[in-house]
Amino acid sequence: MTSTGALAEEMPVTSRDGSMLAVRGLERYFPIRDGALQRVAGHVKAVDGVSFDLPRGETLGLVGESGCGKTTLGRVVSGLSEPTGGGVFFDVDGPTQSTLDDVLAVPIEDRSEKQRSDLETIERSHRIDRLEGAAWKQFRRNCQVVFQDSFASLNPRHLVRDIVGRPLKVQGEASGGDLTEKVVELLEQVGMGRQHLYRYPHQFSGGQRQRISIARALALDPELLILDEPTSALDVSVQAQILNLLHGLQEQRNLTYLFITHDLSVVRHMADQIVVMYVGKVAEAGPTNVIFDAPTHPYTRALLGASPDLEDDRSQFHGLEGSVPDPARPPEGCRFHTRCPVVTPVCGWEVDDVVLRLQDEPGLFDQVDGVEHRSPFDADLRFSDPEAARRLSGLIESQRVPAAMREAIEEVTVDDRTVTVRFQPVDEVALTVRGPGHVAACVHGQSRPI
Amino acid sequence: MPISDTAPTIAEVRNLKVYFNTKAGIVQAVDGVDFSIKDGETLGLVGETGCGKSVTARSFLRLVPMPPGIQVDGSILFHPRRICDSCAGAGCAICDQTGRVAAKCPACSGTGCITCSNSGIEQVDLLTVPEKRLRQIRGDRIAMIFQDPGKALNPSLSIRQQVGEVFLQHRTTEVLVRAGLDPDEASSLLERRASLQSRSVEKVLLSIPPFRSNRNRIDKAVDQMTLAALAETQIPNPLKVMDRYPHELSGGMKQRVMIAQALACNPDLLIADEPTTALDVTVQARIIELIRELQERTKTAVLYISHDLSLVKRVCDRVAVMYAGRIAEVGSSDELFSDPQHPYTRGLLAAIPSASHERGRLVAIEGTVPELVDPDPGCRFAGRCPHEADVCSTIDPDLKPTEEDHAVACFIHHPPDAAAASLPSFERVIR
Repeated sequence: MTSTGALAEEMPVTSRDGSMLAVRGLERYFPIRDGALQRVAGHVKAVDGVSFDLPRGETLGLVGESGCGKTTLGRVVSGLSEPTGGGVFFDVDGPTQSTLDDVLAVPIEDRSEKQRSDLETIERSHRIDRLEGAAWKQFRRNCQVVFQDSFASLNPRHLVRDIVGRPLKVQGEASGGDLTEKVVELLEQVGMGRQHLYRYPHQFSGGQRQRISIARALALDPELLILDEPTSALDVSVQAQILNLLHGLQEQRNLTYLFITHDLSVVRHMADQIVVMYVGKVAEAGPTNVIFDAPTHPYTRALLGASPDLEDDRSQFHGLEGSVPDPARPPEGCRFHTRCPVVTPVCGWEVDDVVLRLQDEPGLFDQVDGVEHRSPFDADLRFSDPEAARRLSGLIESQRVPAAMREAIEEVTVDDRTVTVRFQPVDEVALTVRGPGHVAACVHGQSRPI
Repeated sequence: MPISDTAPTIAEVRNLKVYFNTKAGIVQAVDGVDFSIKDGETLGLVGETGCGKSVTARSFLRLVPMPPGIQVDGSILFHPRRICDSCAGAGCAICDQTGRVAAKCPACSGTGCITCSNSGIEQVDLLTVPEKRLRQIRGDRIAMIFQDPGKALNPSLSIRQQVGEVFLQHRTTEVLVRAGLDPDEASSLLERRASLQSRSVEKVLLSIPPFRSNRNRIDKAVDQMTLAALAETQIPNPLKVMDRYPHELSGGMKQRVMIAQALACNPDLLIADEPTTALDVTVQARIIELIRELQERTKTAVLYISHDLSLVKRVCDRVAVMYAGRIAEVGSSDELFSDPQHPYTRGLLAAIPSASHERGRLVAIEGTVPELVDPDPGCRFAGRCPHEADVCSTIDPDLKPTEEDHAVACFIHHPPDAAAASLPSFERVIR
C-alpha cells in the first residue's frame, strides 16, 4: 500500500469502524482572473490536498492563522462550496472506507476495472459534491453549520420562531402550533425559553444570538455540526457557557463536531483530535494531548509558544518573523520554510526567497529589470546596472541571509547585469508518521514517509 | 490605593463618571472609577465587553464624544514630565535613566503652591484643561494605540505623512534645528510650515524658490526623524514603508506603524486599547514583545486594555478588573492571578478553558451583564454572584485594600457596618 492507504491506517483520526467524515486529498482553488478578457492567471490555493478522518461522536479541532484555509475547508465540507479536487465522503462505514482508501492509493491510470466501479459506487452514495436528490437532502439535514458572526448569520427581519423554525418548515417536519412547540423545545435545549419566541435577533446579546444559531443548527437533529469560530466574538464568561452547552449537546445527541478556531486554549478543551493547517496544507495532525505536549512541527510549536496561557509563568513568548505567504504562490518544499526558526538547506529554498530578501535591501529592488524563471529553483535576475548585480551576489553569500539558504545554493554566477541563481531542487515535504495517530510534515525527525 | 513602590505617580483617576445619553435613558458606562498609574509601570485594565474600559481610557485624552457622553464627575490628574536637564534625554542617574524628570508647577516654579498641592510638580486635570493645552499633551506626553490599525490610520495619507505629522505638531523647534534653521530667527512662514499650520496661500509661496530650499530642508529633517521612529519598531526596510499607504501593509505592520507614531515623542504614558485583538497569535506575540522592549528602553508607563486575561498576566505589572463601570479588584499581577479575591475575578479566571478543566466543566458565570440604565443601588455583580447576601442588593461596596497593593470591592472582605446590613448572612458566606 502506498500513500493514502497507509495514511488512513496511521492517521490519527481514523477508525476502522468508519467515519462521519472522510476527507481525501481535498483541494479548493479560487481562480485569479486578470486582463480585459478575464482570463485565469493563476489560482489561490486556499485548501491544497488535505486529508483527515472524523469518527462519529468525536470532535476534530482545525487550527491555524487567518488565511490558512480553515474556513474554506469548513465551507467545502458543509457543501456550501464545491471542491476543485479530491473529495469529502460523508458517513462511510468501515469496509467502505478501507475499499475507498485502497482504491485511492492506486494512481488513476493503474486502477483496475473493478476498482473504478467500486470507487464510482462509493462516490455516488458518499461523496458530497456528487450526491443527488434524496441523498443530497439527507446530507443537508445531517450536516449543519454554526457561523462565527451571529449578527450576519441571523436575518435581522425575522423572529426567533421563524429563524429556528425555518429548517423544520423547509423539510416539511412541522407547521403551525406544532412548529412553535418544537421551536420552544429547541430553545429550551440551548438554555432559552418560550419568552424569546417573538423577538428579533437585535434584542439579544452575543451569547444568546449564538445560542439561537445553535438551536437552528440542531432543529433537524443533525449528526455533524461544523462550528466555524463559534465563540471568537464572545467574552470568556459567555464563551464558557457556550462551550459547556456544546459539550452537553454532544453527549446527549452523540454529535460529531468539526471545530474551526484560532484559539488554542479552546481547541485543547474541546477537541479529541487536532489538525494544524498552514497555507492550505496540513502541517501536523494528531490527538490533542500529543499535539499540545509533544508537538513536532516547528509551526505548531510557534503557535503554542505564541499563545498566552494562564498556567504558564511569565516567560518570554515568541512570535514568528514575517507574514503568511501568498497562497496564490505558495513556497516550494515545506511551506513554512520562509518563517521557520529551525530551517535546513533541504526545506525548499527557491528563487522567490532571494527576491523577498531583495525587497529589504534599500535601493536594490528598484534596480531589478526582470526575473526569468526556468523553474522555481533556477532563474536569471536581470538588473539595470552591473553594480547592483554584484551587490546581490555579495548579499547572497553574506551573513545577512540564513546559513541554510546559503548552503542550499548550487550556483550563483554574475554575468555583467545578470545574476543566475540555482538552488538544489526539493520535493514537497510529505506528512510522515511520528507516533500512533500522529503525523507531521517536517524534514526534522522524519522516521519514514507514508 | 496603597503604593509600595517609590516610583512617582504619573496619572491618577479619581471618581471618574462618564454617562451616555441614549433613547433608553442615561447609561452609566463608567461610574466611579479610581486608580493610579506609576511612572514606568504597565497597568492592565481588563473586563468584558461593555464594562467601560475603553471609555475610561479614552477619557484620558477626552476622546469620548460629548454629547452623547456626559462628564458627570471625577478628575484625571496627570503629571507631565519634561526632558532631563543634566543629560538632555540621554538618561542619567538624576532621571533614573529615563531621560525625563517631573515638570515643575508653572504657577510656583517648583516651590509649592495651592495649584500643585504643595508638591511643586505640574499637575494637569485632563478633564478640565483647556483644549489648547490638551492638544499639546495628546500624542506628545500621552499617546494611544487603537485596536484596529486599519481604521486608526488615515487611508489617504502615506505612512511618511502620518508619522511625520507627529513631529510637525509636537517637535517644531527640533525640526527647525535639524533643518539647520535657527528657531528664533526662522521666518513665521517656515515656522508655520514646521508646525503644520500653513494656509493654502503659504503653501504656494513655499513652493517657489526663495522659500523652497528651506521647505525642502524641513521636509528632509522630518523624514529623518520619521525614519528613525519607524526603524525603532523593527519594521523591515522602513525607507520603503514610508512611501506606502496603510492598505498596502499587513495588520502587524500597520500596528507597528501605529506604535512608531505613538512612541515618536517619547510619551510619559502610552494607552494601548486592545492593540493585538485584530492580529494572529504569532503576530500578537511579536507586537507584545516589541511594546515591552520599547517600554523597557524608554521607561514609558503603559495602560494596557484587554479582555484577554492570560495575555494581561504576561504583560502587566498591575491589573485592574472592571465590571459594569466600576473597578472590582486591583492588585499586582502576581497576586491577583494567584489569589483572586473578588467573585467576579474568580469567575473570569475559572471560565478560561485550560488543560486542567474537564470538558464541559468550565465554570461559567451565570446570567448576563446588567443593564447600565438606572442600575440598582447595590453591587453591580449582585444577581450573578455565588456569594450574594442581602446587603449586596442595597449597598455598593467600596474599593478597599485587603493587603498591600491589593484592593477589592466586595463585602466578603470588608463586611458592611452592622447598622447598614444584616451581618448574619455574611458570616454564612464566609464560612
